[in-house]
Amino acid sequence: MNRSRLHPDARREFLDGCRDIAPVLVGTVPFGFVAGVAAVGAGMSPLQGIALSLFAFSGIAQLVVAQLVAVQSPILVTLLAAFVVSLRFLMYSAALSPHLAHLTVRWRVLLTYLMTDQVFGMGVKRYGDPGDRGHRHWHLFGIGITLWAFWQASVVAGAILGAQVPAAWSLDFVVTLSFLVLLVPAVRTRADIAAAVVAGAAALLAAGLPYRLSLVVASLAGIAAGVAVEWRHRR
Amino acid sequence: MNDSLVWLVIVGSGVVTFLTRASFILFADPHKFPHGFRVALAFVPPAVLAAIVIPGLVSPAGGIDFSLANPRWIAGLVAIGVAMRVRNALASILAGMAALWILQALAR
Repeated sequence: MNRSRLHPDARREFLDGCRDIAPVLVGTVPFGFVAGVAAVGAGMSPLQGIALSLFAFSGIAQLVVAQLVAVQSPILVTLLAAFVVSLRFLMYSAALSPHLAHLTVRWRVLLTYLMTDQVFGMGVKRYGDPGDRGHRHWHLFGIGITLWAFWQASVVAGAILGAQVPAAWSLDFVVTLSFLVLLVPAVRTRADIAAAVVAGAAALLAAGLPYRLSLVVASLAGIAAGVAVEWRHRR
Repeated sequence: MNDSLVWLVIVGSGVVTFLTRASFILFADPHKFPHGFRVALAFVPPAVLAAIVIPGLVSPAGGIDFSLANPRWIAGLVAIGVAMRVRNALASILAGMAALWILQALAR
């Protein structure tokens, strides 16, 4: 990755990636701050909150883990919840893998670690553009590393400054909105609508279950509903 | 919770999130999986995202609340409306937060 040997296309892709992600950072920064506050609020030390962020690098997984650590839930239940909210990564991974197949293992490990909802969304869009795709992984890297840096800095700020932001600002609503802006474009077909409506309703109905198992149950119910509508439609 | 257990959860979360991300990029070829699995995979984002978003809008404090005392579902509708019109995450998040703050100020 010596700069002097970097292909001009690679450099252009990288800088485009850094620039393309900029509008999203307005949501990332308060979301990361909230994740840092949540970790410390759950009883973790600031160092543990920051470590969780470095290891997981996933806002929703960090929030879910913090909530479950706060109620002292068993480790396996906590990790199961982290797995369920990470199921969407399976889908992203499957969609990205053909584009990355030609890369070295080192590159693929790096891009795997950096892959989030936003990185996937923008990266796949870029791969869909016409033109030479040989250096598009630099675009993915540019998005990912920029988001990573802003995310980690925000988590550190949240973990250290803690709950000094007035509750009236309702900063936690940024978390819901961050996923809402991903949900809306993910709902395109009737089967998608069924999956979202059933999952949403099930999440409300199952809210009483312990350890946030409602998330697991609701996600599976929504996926089943989507598959059912898709099959009926085909016939 | 015991300190070393917390560290175990932290490292475990890292392993879980990394392995789900790595699944097809590093380990498996998605085309080798049965068709039904791939169909189900396509519904993971709408289902999981809705299971996170809907309670955040309708049930922020536990219990389903569609009243005006809960401004979040109205602010959410504003954000959805903006997201459907302009495909811009920033505009949608700002509209949702602005709607929430305005509704909270009006309620005071």
